[in-house]
Amino acid sequence: MATKQTNGRPDRLSPERLAELTHPPAYKTLEERRAALKQATEGFRVKVRVTPDMYGRR
Amino acid sequence: MFAIEEEELLLPDPIALDTSFVVEALIATQPLHGVCSPSSHSIFESGVSVATSELLRVELAEAAFAIALKERWAGQWRRQRTDGRSRPRAGRLLDHTLIRHDKMLGSLTHISIPLGDITTVATSFMTAYGLASYDAAHAASAIAAGAEAIVTIDTAFALLPSSMLMVYTDRSRVASCRGKRPR
Repeated sequence: MATKQTNGRPDRLSPERLAELTHPPAYKTLEERRAALKQATEGFRVKVRVTPDMYGRR
Repeated sequence: MFAIEEEELLLPDPIALDTSFVVEALIATQPLHGVCSPSSHSIFESGVSVATSELLRVELAEAAFAIALKERWAGQWRRQRTDGRSRPRAGRLLDHTLIRHDKMLGSLTHISIPLGDITTVATSFMTAYGLASYDAAHAASAIAAGAEAIVTIDTAFALLPSSMLMVYTDRSRVASCRGKRPR
């Protein structure tokens, strides 16, 4: 547990821990990255509306 | 509270993404896809890093499973959790969902916060502000990553003081969020 509280506000994780948890982009070029995001956000159609209770929310 | 449709919106670095936003951004048939998908591209073009809880992947898997059940059973889907006939479809939906999750987050610098790093803070958010457990986990993850704001369509994040975490949401939810902020 790397967080602590200061004046009621939890602090961020330590820089060392955040560095461990940070992943650089998986694609080399800006165009490859842009294309990956476009593929991620286009064309995925389902037959029902996804409501918050379907992923465990109230 | 900020509306994600605003063209001149300044984004803090990093910024946290909630599952509710990612679901709308990834699934083209969702009612807020037309808002959340362009917002995900704005986040990309801004060059900021994004932070998520590792809970995101689990919630997306749960959503994929529930989609398959709901497609087969409509309003009765909650009672049919153990129906094995839905699982092949659920598996395909899960593959589609996670491939898109990986592409979206792989396009950005991504900070993934494990649950083990935030459980104490998350439970304190539940008792101090009345957040539900999953919301508390996402909020605690955002703060642990150093994010000043979370992008979400879940207004419950407004239960936290804005000094702790700002809420970036769609325009139709801004007023509702303001009404929930602690005074």
